[in-house]
Amino acid sequence: MPKVQFIDPSVARQAGEITFNPIPVNQYAKTVAEEKANFSNDDFLRIYHDMVVIREFETMLNLIKTTGEYSAIPYDHPGPAHLSAGQEAAAVGMAYTLTVDDFIFGSHRSHGEILAKGLSAIQKLNDTDLLAIMESFFNGTVLNVVKKDFIGTTKELGRRFLIYGTLAEIFARETGFNKGLGGSMHAFFTPFGVYPNNAIVGGSGDISVGAALYKKINRKPGLVVANIGDASMACGPVWEGLSFASMDQFNELWEGDMKGGLPVIFNVMNNQYGMGGQTCGETMGYGKVARIGAGVNPEQMHSESVDGYNPLAVIDAYRRKRQLIDEKKGPILLEILTYRYSGHSPSDASSYRSKEEIEAWQAQDSIASFGKSLVDAKVTDQNTLDTVWADIKQIMVEMLKLSINDEVSPRMDIRQRPEQIGEMIFSNQSVDKMEDRTPEVNHPMAENPRVIQISKKERFAFDADGKPFSKMKQYQLRDGIFDAIVDRFYKDPTLVAYGEENRDWGGAFAVYRGLTEALPYHRLFNSPISEASIVGTAIGYAMCGGRVIPEIMYCDFLGRCGDEVFNQLPKWQAMSGNMLKMPVVMRVSVGSKYGAQHSQDWTSLVAHIPGLKVVFPVTPYDAKGLMNSALQGTDPVIFFESQRVYDIGEQFHKGGVPEGYYEIPFGEPDVKREGKDVTILTIGATLYRALDAAKILEEKYGLSAEVIDARSLVPFNYEKVVASVKKTGRIIVSGDATSRGSFLNDLARNITELAFDYLDAPPVVVGSRNWITPAYELEEAFFPQPEWFIDAIHEKIVPLKGHVSGQNFSDLEQIRRAKLGV
Amino acid sequence: MAFVVIMPKQGQSVESCIITEWNKKKGDPVKKGEILFAYETDKASFEEEAAVDGTLLDLFYETGDEVPVLTNVCVIGAPGEPTDAFRPGGTKAETIEVEAKLETIGNKETAETKVNSPISQVPGSGAISPRAKNLAEKEGILLDGLTGSGPGGRIIEQDVKAVINSHPKTTPLAKMIAGEEQLQPTSTGTGLGGSVKAKDLTPPNPIYANDFEIKKLSNMRKLIAKAMHQSLQNSAQLTHHLGADARRMLELRRKVKKANDNGYPVNITLNDMVCFAVVKALRKFPQANAHFLGDSVKYFSKIHLGIAVDTDRGLMVPVIRNADDLSIQGLSNQMREIAASCRKGAINPELLSSEAASFTVSNLGNYGVEMFTPVINLPQVGILGVNTIIPRPKDLGDGAYGFVPYIGLSLSYDHQALDGGEATRFLKQIATEIENLEFEL
Repeated sequence: MPKVQFIDPSVARQAGEITFNPIPVNQYAKTVAEEKANFSNDDFLRIYHDMVVIREFETMLNLIKTTGEYSAIPYDHPGPAHLSAGQEAAAVGMAYTLTVDDFIFGSHRSHGEILAKGLSAIQKLNDTDLLAIMESFFNGTVLNVVKKDFIGTTKELGRRFLIYGTLAEIFARETGFNKGLGGSMHAFFTPFGVYPNNAIVGGSGDISVGAALYKKINRKPGLVVANIGDASMACGPVWEGLSFASMDQFNELWEGDMKGGLPVIFNVMNNQYGMGGQTCGETMGYGKVARIGAGVNPEQMHSESVDGYNPLAVIDAYRRKRQLIDEKKGPILLEILTYRYSGHSPSDASSYRSKEEIEAWQAQDSIASFGKSLVDAKVTDQNTLDTVWADIKQIMVEMLKLSINDEVSPRMDIRQRPEQIGEMIFSNQSVDKMEDRTPEVNHPMAENPRVIQISKKERFAFDADGKPFSKMKQYQLRDGIFDAIVDRFYKDPTLVAYGEENRDWGGAFAVYRGLTEALPYHRLFNSPISEASIVGTAIGYAMCGGRVIPEIMYCDFLGRCGDEVFNQLPKWQAMSGNMLKMPVVMRVSVGSKYGAQHSQDWTSLVAHIPGLKVVFPVTPYDAKGLMNSALQGTDPVIFFESQRVYDIGEQFHKGGVPEGYYEIPFGEPDVKREGKDVTILTIGATLYRALDAAKILEEKYGLSAEVIDARSLVPFNYEKVVASVKKTGRIIVSGDATSRGSFLNDLARNITELAFDYLDAPPVVVGSRNWITPAYELEEAFFPQPEWFIDAIHEKIVPLKGHVSGQNFSDLEQIRRAKLGV
Repeated sequence: MAFVVIMPKQGQSVESCIITEWNKKKGDPVKKGEILFAYETDKASFEEEAAVDGTLLDLFYETGDEVPVLTNVCVIGAPGEPTDAFRPGGTKAETIEVEAKLETIGNKETAETKVNSPISQVPGSGAISPRAKNLAEKEGILLDGLTGSGPGGRIIEQDVKAVINSHPKTTPLAKMIAGEEQLQPTSTGTGLGGSVKAKDLTPPNPIYANDFEIKKLSNMRKLIAKAMHQSLQNSAQLTHHLGADARRMLELRRKVKKANDNGYPVNITLNDMVCFAVVKALRKFPQANAHFLGDSVKYFSKIHLGIAVDTDRGLMVPVIRNADDLSIQGLSNQMREIAASCRKGAINPELLSSEAASFTVSNLGNYGVEMFTPVINLPQVGILGVNTIIPRPKDLGDGAYGFVPYIGLSLSYDHQALDGGEATRFLKQIATEIENLEFEL
C-alpha cells in the first residue's frame, strides 16, 4: 500500500530461489565445569532449587488430585491441575535470565513457569522493592498470611509469598494472586512479570505479541516470552501472531527509534504431546517445531531447537536470543524440547504412550541429572542437594496448610456479598490518558486537513427552514467518530489504532481520513488481514497499560477473532481480580449490500458475552459522544458502526453536533421521536426505517409512534423504555440482526417482565429473517422494512382497518417458520 | 373475464342491504346457480346466486357489512385476474378517512376506536391484555360479554376505553366498589351532571349472577322496535272495543267448509270475512282510509289493506293493494299467498312499507285474545285488532235471553286525525258489515 514502496515487476518477475539456513538443534554441549565462568556455585544451586520447587509443587498437586492428601494432609481439589513435572529445566532455563521487566505469557500448563519466573524476579529485585510489591498487592492481603510467625530474609518471604499466592489461587481462595477468580489455568502475578496464562491452546500466541507491541511503541524496557505448547502450532491465532510479529513494516516503514523488530520470543515448550495427540509423528508434520521459523520471515525467526532437559542449554539460548532482541531483531522462535511425566491432567491414563517411554525420560530426569552433574563438577554435594529438597518439602507443607485453612485463606464470601464477582466484570474508570507524557503527533491538531475540512461543515442536517444541506456539507457520522478519535490521539500518548487499510487509505469507510497525516507510523498502521491478531494483540497491548483501537472491517469477520472477542477480551479484567484494565475500543463495521458474508449484524453475539460493553450509535452526535466515553473508559467496548449511515447528518440533536468534547454515558437509550400510541425500540440503523414507519402510522392510521434508539446494548437502562411502554402499552423491538436468538428477544423479554401489567399486547420483535443475507437487490425481503412495522402492529398488536399485510406475522406462520428452522 | 356481482336493488325505497352470511369464501370455486351470500333488507332476506361459473376472486364486504344497493360485492372470474379495479370505495373511502383524521385531533380515543375497528373479529376468545384488564379494574368496567378488537379477539385497551366512553361519569368510590363487587352503573346517576355514585350501582343479578345472555338485535328487530316506539311517541292513539254478532259469519263459514268438501276451491276464513267487511266499511268512511301527515291528511281513493302476519323473523305487515276491487274469493286468495311469501322471506319489500297500506288489520283471535290495543303503523290513521269469538248473553226479544257468539273488535285510531265519534261510527259500521255479510259461493 505505501507509495514509497515500489513493486517493480522486473524485479518481482526475476528467476531465483528461496534459500534457508540450517536451523540449530541441541547444539549446546558445554559441561558444568565449562560454565563455571558464567555461573557461581550459588547460581548453580539456585537453578537446582528452582527446579525442585516446581517438581515438589506439581507432585503435591498430583498427590492431592490422585490420593486426596499430601504429607498426610487431606484436601479435595475439584478444579483443574495440568501439571508439568518433567518440564522443570525448560521453565527455569527460560526464566533464569529474564528481568523483572520481561513479561511471560503462558498456557494451561504453566505452574512451573509462574514459579520459575517468580523466583527469578525475587532474586533480581532488591529487598526494598520486593517488600513494596508484596505490601502493596491487594493491600498486603497475601503477604499478611505468609509473614505471620515467619522469621527469615525478605527473599525467603518472597518465596513463601509466591508459592502461597499461586497455590491459594489454584484453590480459588480470595487470598490467591487473582482473588481465586483465575485458578490453575489462568494464574498470574504481573508485578513479577508473570502475565496471564491461558486455558485456550495457543491463546497467548497473539496476546503476547500485543504486549511486545506495547513495550516497543511505549519504549518500555524488557522483552516478552510467549510460552505456548507444541500442539498450539496448528492454531490459527498462533500463526496470526507470528505473522503480525514479523511484519516488514517494523523494519521498512517505522521511523527513527521505532525502526526494528518486536521484542518477542515464541517459546514453544515441546513436551511431545497435545493432550493425547503426539505432535511429532501423529498430529503435526513439522518434525521439529523450530522448522516453522524458516517459513515466517527471511531471518527464519532466528529459530532454534534447544535441549530443554538441560537448564544450562536453555539459559545459554536465552542469553544469545536476548542479544538479538536488544538489536531489534525479533521476533524469535525457540523450541524447548522437554517431556511431561504426568498425564494431560490427573485423570489421564496415558493410554496413548508406553510405560517404557515415560521411564526412559524419567531415567534422564532433568533434576536428577543436573544434580548429579553439579556433584560431579564438585559445585556441591549430595547432602546439600538433599537439604534443598527437605527445605522445599517443608515449605510446601506449610503453604498447603495455610492455603487450605478456611480462616486465613477464605473463599470469596458470595453469600455476604453476592455481587462481588459482578463488581469485577468492568473496571468502569474514567481516565484521560493511560500515561502522562506528550503524545507523538506530526502536527498540531488545528493544522490537520481533515480537522479543517470538518470545521467548515454544517453540524445539523437541516437549515433554519428545515431543508437538508447537501450530504457533502453535512457533518457526517464518520466525522463524529473521527472527531473523538483524533482528540484522544492528541491526549493519550499510549493510544494506537490499527486494522486493515487503516493508514493511507484511511480505513475502508474513510473514518480515518486525515489521521495518516497526523500520526507517525507506530500510532496508526496497517495490520495483516488477520482479525485474530488484530484483536489478540490489542488485548496484550491494553493489559500492559496502553489504550488501543483495533478495527474489524466487517462485522462478519468477528468469527475470525472469535476466541479473542469471546474468551480473551471480556475475561481478563475479572479473571485478574481487577488487577488488569482493558481499554480496548474495538470498532466493528456492520455492512449492507454485500451479501451473506458482508452484511450481518452480529451485535447479539457480543452482547451475549459477559465483560464486553456494546454500543451501536447511528447519529453523528451519538457516535462522537459514545466514542468519547469509550475512549475515556478502561473497559473493552465493541463499537458498532453501520455502513448504511456513515454519511448521515445529525437530524435530532438541536444545535447540531457540539464542537467541543462531550460524553454520552453508556446504556442510555434515546427517544428520537415522541409519541403516545406505540413504542418502537431499535438497535442500529434500523432506526431510520422505524422513523419511516412512524410516519406511515401517523398519516395512514392516526397512530403516533414513539421511536427510541437503544444506542447501547450493554449496559442498558430499561427505565426510559419502561416509562414509554407505560404510556403506550405497546412496543416493537427491532434491529437488523437475524431474529432467532438475537438481543432483540432479550430486550423484549425484559420489557415483558418489567412492564407486564402495562402491556396491551406482547412486545413484538421485528428482526431480519433467519436466512442468509441476500443480494442488495433482494434485501427488502430480509431486513426489516418500514411496512413490516405496520404489518406487525396489524397482526400482533391492534388490527388496522383496511390494512393488507405484506409480511406474515401470524402465530401460525411463526410456528411454521420455527418448525422449519427458517 | 371477471364477472362482478352487485348488491341487487330490492324495491324502490331500499337503499342498502346487510350481508347476513357468506356461503363462499375468497378463492372458492363457484358454479352457476350456487348461493353466494344471503342478505337482508329492512324486513326481508334474500339469497344471491352465482350467475356464472368461476372462482370467487375477491369479496369486498364481510358478513354484517351494510352494502349500498348496486354496489360491487364480489368478483367471480379466472384465478389471477386482477380485481382491484372493481373494489368499491374511491371518493367514499377517502371521506371516511378524512373524518377519522379530524376526530383524531379532537378526541384520540374515540377516533382510534373507530379507525381501528377490527376487520375480522373472533368473538369470545376471552383473552384480555394486562393493560386492558388493569384499566377495567381501575374503572370498574365489567368485561363479560365485551368483544375484543385485538388480534384473535383479545380485549385490548381501546375496547375498555370504548365502554368507559359509553358510560356515564362515575365517581371514584363507585368505580372502586363496582370493581370489587362486580356491580354495574345505571345509565344515569344521581350525582352532579348525572354522574354515577356508589348508591346508583346495581348488581347484575343479585341471586343468579350472569344467568342471561345478551344478544345483538337483528336488523329486522331493530326496525320493528324503532317503528313501534315512534308510533307511540308520535301519535295520539287510543283504542275502542266493540263486539259484533258472529252468527252470520259462522253460518257462512260452515257453508264454505261444506262447499270445500264438495270441491269448492277457495277456503274463505273468518279473517277473510272480517277483512272483506273492513273493506266495505272503509268505503263508507274514507277518513279512516288515510294517512295523517302532520299538517295535512292524505285520503286514499283506493283501499290498500295491510295485513299483520306473524313470522319466525318477527311481525310483517304486507299490503294487499286495491283490496276494494276484489271479491271475497280474490281477497282470500291474495291474503294466503302474501302470508306464505312473508313466512318464506321472499316478499317484495315494496309491499312491506307502512306507507304502502292505507289501513291495517291485525288478527289475534285465533290465539284466543279477547281484547288488545294494536299499535298503528304510522302514518296510517287506524288499525283494527280482531279478537276471538266469545258467546255472550243477548236479549233475544220477549224477555228471552240466550248466548250468542260475538267477535271482539279493537280499533286503535290516531286522535289527531279522527275524533271519537267518527271512530266509533266507523267501528260500528264494521260490526254491521260483519253481521250482514253476504257472498255467493
